[in-house]
Amino acid sequence: MANAASGMAVHDDCKLKFLELKAKRIYRFIIFKIDAQQVVVEKLGNPEESYEDFTNALPADECRYAVFDFDFVTNENCQKSKIFFIAWSPDTSKVRMKMVYASSKDRFKREIDGIQVELQATDPSEMSLDIIKSRAL
Amino acid sequence: MYGGDEVSAIVIDLGSHTCKAGYAGEDAPKAVFPSAVGSVDEMEVDNPDNPEDNSGSAPDLKSKGKRKLYVGSQALGFRRDHMEVISPIRDGTVVDWDIVENIWDHAFRECLLIDPKEHPMLLAEPCSNTQQQREKAAEIMFEKYQVPALFLAKNAVLTSFASGRATSLVVDSGGGLTTVAPVHDGYVLQKAVCTSPIGGGILTDCLIKSLEQKGITIKPRYSFKRKEIRPGEFQTVDLDFPDTTESYKLYCQRAIASDIKECVSRAPDTPYDDSSYSNIPTTSYELPDGQTIEVGADRFKIPDILFNPSLVQTIPGMESFAETAASLRGLPQMVIDSINKCDVDIRRELFSSILLAGGTSSMQQLKERLEKDLLEESPQAARVKVLASGNATERRFSVWIGGSILASLGSFQQMWFSKSEYEEHGASYVQRKCP
Repeated sequence: MANAASGMAVHDDCKLKFLELKAKRIYRFIIFKIDAQQVVVEKLGNPEESYEDFTNALPADECRYAVFDFDFVTNENCQKSKIFFIAWSPDTSKVRMKMVYASSKDRFKREIDGIQVELQATDPSEMSLDIIKSRAL
Repeated sequence: MYGGDEVSAIVIDLGSHTCKAGYAGEDAPKAVFPSAVGSVDEMEVDNPDNPEDNSGSAPDLKSKGKRKLYVGSQALGFRRDHMEVISPIRDGTVVDWDIVENIWDHAFRECLLIDPKEHPMLLAEPCSNTQQQREKAAEIMFEKYQVPALFLAKNAVLTSFASGRATSLVVDSGGGLTTVAPVHDGYVLQKAVCTSPIGGGILTDCLIKSLEQKGITIKPRYSFKRKEIRPGEFQTVDLDFPDTTESYKLYCQRAIASDIKECVSRAPDTPYDDSSYSNIPTTSYELPDGQTIEVGADRFKIPDILFNPSLVQTIPGMESFAETAASLRGLPQMVIDSINKCDVDIRRELFSSILLAGGTSSMQQLKERLEKDLLEESPQAARVKVLASGNATERRFSVWIGGSILASLGSFQQMWFSKSEYEEHGASYVQRKCP
């Protein structure tokens, strides 16, 4: 357990939806939010949606957690996919919200098993498509 | 588990220079007062061995008799004969718990007006705190103050979380110490923590010495009386108090010098050197006794000590510290060393989230200079980003603010180290509850 963890609970639905994304691949992304002292699923993206649709679905001045299933082609011309975990904590959000999300992240990540790349972003440039691509390879 | 009734918790961040205390959930600490306290030896008459030889350091409790401690800005502001100013903290760790208890007492009973029995306590602690220190803190809190619940949170983690990051490199430059601590997913990577004794305190002392060399002596506030003899015209009369201790005089001078430092100094854009700053325009500052001084090159030279500690050697009167300074590294080097001690996988993330916190970090241009130096020295692929809250209060109190939010979260109420757990498992259980 990390020092100064918030003790936030995680709704079972989060795990379930994540499993569906991982195994059945029926979602492109999942956005989670903290509501009434637990982490819950806020939005689901269907597989046709793009990375841009995903970033547009994140609020500009509120924190969220998100999982994105990223498809790409490697240098050897091989089709692959990787699951990204993104802690979205924009600089413009309230201190209280930043604190809540940062102190609950460790616990939440333990609940969802199978994340391949993790990043934290405080402005859109820190999670641009280029950065996602470079982290995937 | 602590039952979390509607009583709000108390958050205390006891730093080497200032103690911050207040109610959880608020934006800023209610009480901010010096960590140093005044001490008058009550055995003075029977025990005339002079107070000089232990000035500035904590006296050995056992060899001395009873002493009376004066805590808080007001009690310290009043000059008393033979009052020494002593600090409970040296090099970031508590060396005198008796003083700490007095500071806590002051915070609870005189500043916040609360009964500690009724409030859970969240204490911010330095990353370097040892197991013994933590157990001692728990013991005093539960045994002496009978607090219902306790939590010890690490400084660096609180700062990191309050900025929305679970992973970051926290550069905390305070009064007595500068600490660079990598935090990964809420864990402090202890092996990579770098500390240096260069903080606001050293900078203030350097400024005093440097001004003295130029013939400017800062008169402590108690040593003169200033009267308006005609409208707009003042007369200063020196007063003599032969029984004032050296440490009290220094404490008063530091208070003034620290204000000069905060008002006029700024970090230079490039490393300081005497020749290029010899013609720099000066800034004037009016001392409490009415004399106006001009501060020139020192405005830049003093802050540059953070980047280049060996500059201390060029300041006359700082010889005692010069030897230590020679072996110290500047801020950018500490950052790089600390990052290089971390796992390769997280280095790039650390480079892109360097957080500035602590009182000294409010120095003008400090953030820009650090970022510039790091860009030059960091590996090419790294994307360097130094972050600091634009709000000076948030920057200075980031640790306290983090603790305040954490302790007020509904979900956090199950995380406290409760009194019943203490009674069942003892003080060592603190390691389990507050890892």
